[in-house]
Amino acid sequence: MQGSLLQPDEKRTGITFDPRTKMFLLLTVAVFVLGGAGGKNVDLLAPMLCVLPVVLFLLAGKWKRAFTYVLIYAAAYLCFWYFGPRTTGIVNFLLLALCGILSRFLPGIMLGMYLIETTTVSEFTAAMSKMHVTDKITIPLSVMFRFFPTVADEFSSINAAMRMRDIRLGGKNVTKMIEYRLVPLMVCSAKIGEELNAAALTRGLGGEVRRTNVCKIGFHMQDILLFLIALSPYAAWIAGLVA
Amino acid sequence: MIEISNVNFQYGTADIGALHNINLSVADGSCVLLCGESGCGKTTITRLLNGLTPHFYEGTLEGEITVNGLKVKEEELYIIASRVGSVFQNPRSQFFCLDTNSEVAFGCENMGLPEQEILKRREQAVRDLNMEKLMNRNIFRLSGGEKQKVACASVAAMQPEVLVLDEPTSNLDLDAIEDLKETLKLWKAQGKTIVIAEHRLYWLKEICDRVIYLKEGSVLFDISMEEFRTFPPERLEELGLRRMTTVAADFPEEPKTANLWKTTNLHGATEKSAITEAVEPGVQKQATLPAIEFHNYNFSYEKLPVLKVKDFSLPEGSIVAVTGHNGAGKSTFLRCMCGLEKKFKGQTKLHGKWQKPGQMLKECYMVMQDVNHQLFCETVEDEIRLGMNEAEEAKVPQVLKELDLSELTERHPMSLSGGQKQRVAIASALLADKSVLIFDEPTSGLDYRHMKQTADLFLHLKKYGKTTFIITHDPELIAMCCTHILHIEEGEVAEYYPLTAAHRERFLKQFSFQ
Amino acid sequence: MKNNAKLKGKDLINVGIYAAIYCVIMTAVAMLGFIPIMMPMLCVLVPLLGGIPMMLFMTKVKKFGMITIYSIIVGLFLWVTGMGYWPFIFGIVFGFIADLIAKSGNYKSSKKTIASYAVFSLIIFGNFVPLLINAEEYFLTRQSFGEAYITSLTEIMGNTWLAPLLAVSCLVCGIIGGFIGKAILKKHFVKAGIA
Repeated sequence: MQGSLLQPDEKRTGITFDPRTKMFLLLTVAVFVLGGAGGKNVDLLAPMLCVLPVVLFLLAGKWKRAFTYVLIYAAAYLCFWYFGPRTTGIVNFLLLALCGILSRFLPGIMLGMYLIETTTVSEFTAAMSKMHVTDKITIPLSVMFRFFPTVADEFSSINAAMRMRDIRLGGKNVTKMIEYRLVPLMVCSAKIGEELNAAALTRGLGGEVRRTNVCKIGFHMQDILLFLIALSPYAAWIAGLVA
Repeated sequence: MIEISNVNFQYGTADIGALHNINLSVADGSCVLLCGESGCGKTTITRLLNGLTPHFYEGTLEGEITVNGLKVKEEELYIIASRVGSVFQNPRSQFFCLDTNSEVAFGCENMGLPEQEILKRREQAVRDLNMEKLMNRNIFRLSGGEKQKVACASVAAMQPEVLVLDEPTSNLDLDAIEDLKETLKLWKAQGKTIVIAEHRLYWLKEICDRVIYLKEGSVLFDISMEEFRTFPPERLEELGLRRMTTVAADFPEEPKTANLWKTTNLHGATEKSAITEAVEPGVQKQATLPAIEFHNYNFSYEKLPVLKVKDFSLPEGSIVAVTGHNGAGKSTFLRCMCGLEKKFKGQTKLHGKWQKPGQMLKECYMVMQDVNHQLFCETVEDEIRLGMNEAEEAKVPQVLKELDLSELTERHPMSLSGGQKQRVAIASALLADKSVLIFDEPTSGLDYRHMKQTADLFLHLKKYGKTTFIITHDPELIAMCCTHILHIEEGEVAEYYPLTAAHRERFLKQFSFQ
Repeated sequence: MKNNAKLKGKDLINVGIYAAIYCVIMTAVAMLGFIPIMMPMLCVLVPLLGGIPMMLFMTKVKKFGMITIYSIIVGLFLWVTGMGYWPFIFGIVFGFIADLIAKSGNYKSSKKTIASYAVFSLIIFGNFVPLLINAEEYFLTRQSFGEAYITSLTEIMGNTWLAPLLAVSCLVCGIIGGFIGKAILKKHFVKAGIA
């Protein structure tokens, strides 16, 4: 039951990118696909950004992810084309809203998923420190990503305990259910967190010396290529503004 | 050189673990064992050395602590960290990176050493501890023993002069303890000073050269290991300490389950009456008891088969010790039995009927290693009534009394001690009319007295007619209360036998301390 | 001990641990957001439930900067998981304000910590900013979506009352969530010895 946030498989395949490249891509998608900036000129480039996650997933050898993404996206679009004109009123609105939200958020979410699944915490913190982000941010950030699987683990243990006690979601007990789940979750996580904190301190985390990072990251050919792709909508935008 | 002089310490609120007038000096290169019952303050002493008290666990501290010239009270934690390495009890909560390579380098990175130096040190630590196979792995997928080894390597790479270990074997199996023993031998040979607080003592016989016994925060005796080794087992029991030698293991001629149905149990009147009748008093034999049968116990995680148990059966009402290495599939086996694994399809015969996993979920209750996972309510009273069978109402006072909880009904379950929490969980299982109880390492990290209490509790549960499964690495517990051994290795039943005199040798072979 | 006001390892690690708990709860709630009707509800549910981990976190906060860093990394988490850069910007701004509010109560005053949490909750509002900002321009460029869609969505999203409503909802639910968090703290966490 381990989450997959920033902890990729032991054997990584395919072409890898520098975390900074991925983050820049994420920013670009947020600006143009989610934010819809750029005006008419970018109109042609935005779909290209939407296709990017598919290409990246394929390059990383994650066929399933790429396939799921294409499927959801295509389904949302087809649904929209087919049912859009054929329904009316609230159904029509719900459908349109769902498809609209999916088509705007999905590329970003998928790209985020790609970033998270193909980057290790060490690579991520190495990238942060190369970007001169202070340890005051990178330390909590890496602890947070380290702690996600633990919280997820605790959550599934508590779920198991609840099933054994036959405590189920009942109509009137929603608040109780939330309490039953959250309270043990917080208590267990806080206790493990305290142990983790103590152990981290005895390994010298949080000192006044600048941390070294032995994780090797750097820009390669593929990064430059991706950067150029990601820069193109900005160029189109500026060109549009100038014209 | 470690010097502790005139130290008094009190945690912010609690009395447990406080220290009174401690004076100690430990010479360079020596290896000291701190022992005593839970709450005696041995963990606190280790914390004085690595600086966690008073810098992390706050309280009032008087006196002076000097570790190799470093004044612990005044120094910053990260400075102390580079001189004093620490290994803790819980392998799950002492790593920070998600892969082993980064983890071993982690401490050195924090020290800000140059990259080349870190790589060199990492290589050496890996070579020293013989752990090439563990490199490039996701730590979350390692077993407890392997995690502990990675923790040791990470500490070793920092090359501290002093090493402090706080109950490092609590969650380890016997082989992993042997492994840790080798690591300690190496550190000793390198001339490091080692201080170790432990409950399990046998594995330290050849490692430590000095034994300090604490009681209620004061040093009761401080002797050489040679002298300590002359203590007879009875003396150790009196002191509340675990054995130094293999357990005595006086097993009965007949399986202990045989007499089970003589005593009336809480549920005797209903569905089990047929069983009671069928078994005549006095001449009960194992064969006449109904059996729990296991059929099609196969299970895979992500296409990797982790459980492939051939069909077998065991008598109801047994106390079964489920043994095997960390990561052998013990938990998976029991999770499957409980019906917690959704994809599991195997069947279990209980009370003479074949049950699907979903039905087993109603029959089984697992007391988890971290009992906090299963305490939901605000008071003990509410807790044990949650999910209770309405028909059991009359039994509430009796169960409370027998589990020694009558005084605690108004307390918050999470505010209780570990043993009390365990009993609350058991009480709720009894009142929910569960017939199979499962315990996940109930005695890990317990001293002799608490372990014995737990064993007595299991024996007591017998009279309720429950079948009990206990995942454990604790031979003393097994010898005290279990009736059968179910030894699981690599997802298969490696051995299954009743604990009778005839099988004594087998048991001793599995749990020999050498 | 020297430099008491400075953030130490202990504080930074606590920030990471509690941010993780908060993010997990937030993500669990956000799963509901894929049902369109539920999406605006995120501005209600996340602040309500988030109060529980946040109030526990507040008991560990004793120095300036912890809440700021907390909200920055929560914002960063939202950015990295594809919610755009607005939550990140909001995280910096409102985290800093929230920190100032809590500091004015010396990190002890109940009222101030609840107010601080309510302001912090505006970070959730940040998720909606891309939908609200230049909504019309966005839909102009997407004629392909069909006339009906654009009218109905701009009606909802482009409405001048929606943005303030969502922001106010974050604030108000943040206050209620803060009270819930305080209640749970007293009812459970103090007794469990973790607060």
